[in-house]
Amino acid sequence: MPTINDPAVIAEIAALHDAYESALAANDVATLTRYFWDSPEVIRYGVVEHLYGAEQIKAYRVANAVVITDRKLLKRTIVTFGPDLASVMCEFSQVARGRTGHSRQSQTWVRLPEAGWRIVSAHVSLALPPPESEWGAYADRAAAAIALPLAVPHRPGTVQNLERAAAIAAPLLAHALPVGTEPASVFTA
Amino acid sequence: MSLDPVTASALEIAAAVHSRQITARAVTEKLLAHIATTHGRINAFTTVTNDRALAEADAVDATLAAGRDPGPLAGAPYAVKNLFDLAGVVTVAGSKINRDDPPAARDATAVARLHAAGAVCLGALNMGEYAYDFTNENCHYGAVHNPRDLIRSAGGSSGGSGAAVAAGLVPLALGTDTNGSIRVPSSFCGIWGLKPTYGRLSRAGSFPFVDSLDHIGPFARSVGDLTAAYDIMQGPDPLDAACAQRPIEPALPGLNTGLAGLRIAILGGYFEQGGEPSVHAAVSTLAAALGVTRRIELPVPSLARAAAYLITAAESGQFHLGRLRTRAADFEPPIRDRLLAGALTPSAWYLQAQRFRHWWQGQVREIFRDVDVLLAPATPLPAPVLGQDTFLFNGKEVPLRPSIGLFTQPITFIGLPVVAAPVHTVGPMPVAVQLIGAPWNEAALLRVARVLEETGVCTAPVAHLAA
Repeated sequence: MPTINDPAVIAEIAALHDAYESALAANDVATLTRYFWDSPEVIRYGVVEHLYGAEQIKAYRVANAVVITDRKLLKRTIVTFGPDLASVMCEFSQVARGRTGHSRQSQTWVRLPEAGWRIVSAHVSLALPPPESEWGAYADRAAAAIALPLAVPHRPGTVQNLERAAAIAAPLLAHALPVGTEPASVFTA
Repeated sequence: MSLDPVTASALEIAAAVHSRQITARAVTEKLLAHIATTHGRINAFTTVTNDRALAEADAVDATLAAGRDPGPLAGAPYAVKNLFDLAGVVTVAGSKINRDDPPAARDATAVARLHAAGAVCLGALNMGEYAYDFTNENCHYGAVHNPRDLIRSAGGSSGGSGAAVAAGLVPLALGTDTNGSIRVPSSFCGIWGLKPTYGRLSRAGSFPFVDSLDHIGPFARSVGDLTAAYDIMQGPDPLDAACAQRPIEPALPGLNTGLAGLRIAILGGYFEQGGEPSVHAAVSTLAAALGVTRRIELPVPSLARAAAYLITAAESGQFHLGRLRTRAADFEPPIRDRLLAGALTPSAWYLQAQRFRHWWQGQVREIFRDVDVLLAPATPLPAPVLGQDTFLFNGKEVPLRPSIGLFTQPITFIGLPVVAAPVHTVGPMPVAVQLIGAPWNEAALLRVARVLEETGVCTAPVAHLAA
């Protein structure tokens, strides 16, 4: 049985993964390509692309430089098996192609006799956003109807307040009042 | 015996000034110095009107020297929540946005009336942004620190008013109350507060929050000061459409007539549930002192609170619509989000809330045929620590800020007059009890307050500030 999670091996992989992330932030294609196993057997599944072999991975990187900003590592799990095999699983939040998203990254790293540590398989996916409250659509339409811009950063708090008000309004709306009860602010001349 | 302006009441100061024991200038200079040395710890003032204060004090002294009467509050210092217009000062209303407004051209009606009575204005006081707040943790001007324990909130939205009076910076302050913004700081700071009947005092020259629910009122450390200020500010005002066309009904002459003829009861049900034990102990303390055992319940108070919440959201969101369109990023974030959501309130919610308000007012009016004063806690807890987000209510952790007004909101909702009576004997921090009356019956509440003060059940000492 190989040693699982030898601290020295974990530290080695963590440093390599940090360097890989720096290269990704810099869109440093040469470095990114070098971290992948130079073999027709290497596989990288992106969010939409399926890349088989080192040539396809490199070609894709050159043709599709994606600028990622505000990429924040939310959770990284490294598990090592003996001195030569490691799995890296991460969750990120990031802004790519103008959209904020929650992404996952899986990598399998192997220490090859000649080349050293290389990624032999990788997979990136985007988590589906949590289901939108129905009040989101209401807020958008109602705000447009009164020419009230609802800036993206202000929307979640607005929707949350509408949800709270809806919960508070429900028992009041269900309370039957005598027919003809006028609003308190009625005008009397 | 020499008078200490830090601990003296406004009426004691006025008496000493009248009798030439002390000059209005000496009183003013003493309190301006006290404000300066304590400001860094309390943060109650946003503007100190030094020049105005000294000029007003000198005018009082000159009037006396000429053998004339400067008025019942001669030389008595006071300050106002910074949503009241002070001539020459920008009315910021706790906001960053209003800093771009021109200075007020004239004093608010309430300020003008205090001025005419000889009172001396020391400045404008910190508040929660646009009054949509209960803790006065203002991101533009900093939090107000409770003088009785500096790590705690002074309450809101009139937090600077509560803290200034509790710290002895002024014996008298003005605040406003839409859902509890006078009664909450009274409770957290342990001082007297009066929220009169809706329409009793003119709001002209005060920056609005919710037209249907806005009130103005005084804070003080003595019932005499509370009553004197209230009497002076009474009277119709064509500049406030909601201000009643009623003659002035002074409460000071009958203040010492005791409890004779007053029917008092504890507000039961909703108002006895939840909250920390000390707030209910405070009600029991007052009930025991007044010999009250009777309990009365109001119908569906939780719906009154719900309707007040919705009217607040809808009217304030509508009032701020222009600023939300052009300067949304300049609001304090949680207040902006409440106002944005409020601006989108469906009209069916708002009108049901206003219909309910009409119906509920009738229900409660019937109850007051049989009782004069109702006792209820002002807040569900004593002053929370600044930054605190939740507290235990009925054994359940609930969000702090939306829950502080649970006991005050149903009362302002139909404009009933309330005196917040401070109790310092039920725990390490004080809390206030609401003395709630029928519309236009402030005088009865102030009589009860006077009895509680005279018997020592309710006190409002100046807080001892650690050096």
